[in-house]
Amino acid sequence: MDAVTYPNESVVEFVQKNIIPLRVAFDAKPLATDFNVQWTPTLIVLDENGKEHHRTVGFFPSDELIPSLLLGIAKSHFDQERFSEALSTLDKLLSDYPKSDSAPEAIYLRGVCRYKSTHDPKPLKGAYEQLQANYPSSEWTKRAYPYRLL
Amino acid sequence: MGKMIIWETKMDVALARAKAEKKHILLDFFNPG
Repeated sequence: MDAVTYPNESVVEFVQKNIIPLRVAFDAKPLATDFNVQWTPTLIVLDENGKEHHRTVGFFPSDELIPSLLLGIAKSHFDQERFSEALSTLDKLLSDYPKSDSAPEAIYLRGVCRYKSTHDPKPLKGAYEQLQANYPSSEWTKRAYPYRLL
Repeated sequence: MGKMIIWETKMDVALARAKAEKKHILLDFFNPG
């Protein structure tokens, strides 16, 4: 991460604008214990109260780190029922990084956000159809499979 | 030399900034080697 991803100009700019970067050693107590860290790099997106909403383990190239962080921010908004903020973050992820590994989960979560904010089930079916058309082998296509019947 | 990420190293500082700036936190557990 230090050699490739973190020095990347786009990553530096994204972090400066969008998120507070906090770095601690994997064995730093009590944080490593509190977050049950077992391997590095472990990247966690927290809300402003320190609550975890998204975790990844392992290396990310620069063009995957930013969409992963956007997904984490969207999941935080979703968990706190801030669906409008979640949707705008997911829209940005899918607009700027449609080919990223985070995109299928973002499509799934966007469908759920739209459903929970409107109680209209059509976005769930729409999410499945978009996943099936663009990411047929994704685990998120499988998770959305029941929505084809809506 | 290009720009670099300026990391916070204390949770309480990061939380205070997150609240003040209305942002999330990226917490990176790393191996200093």
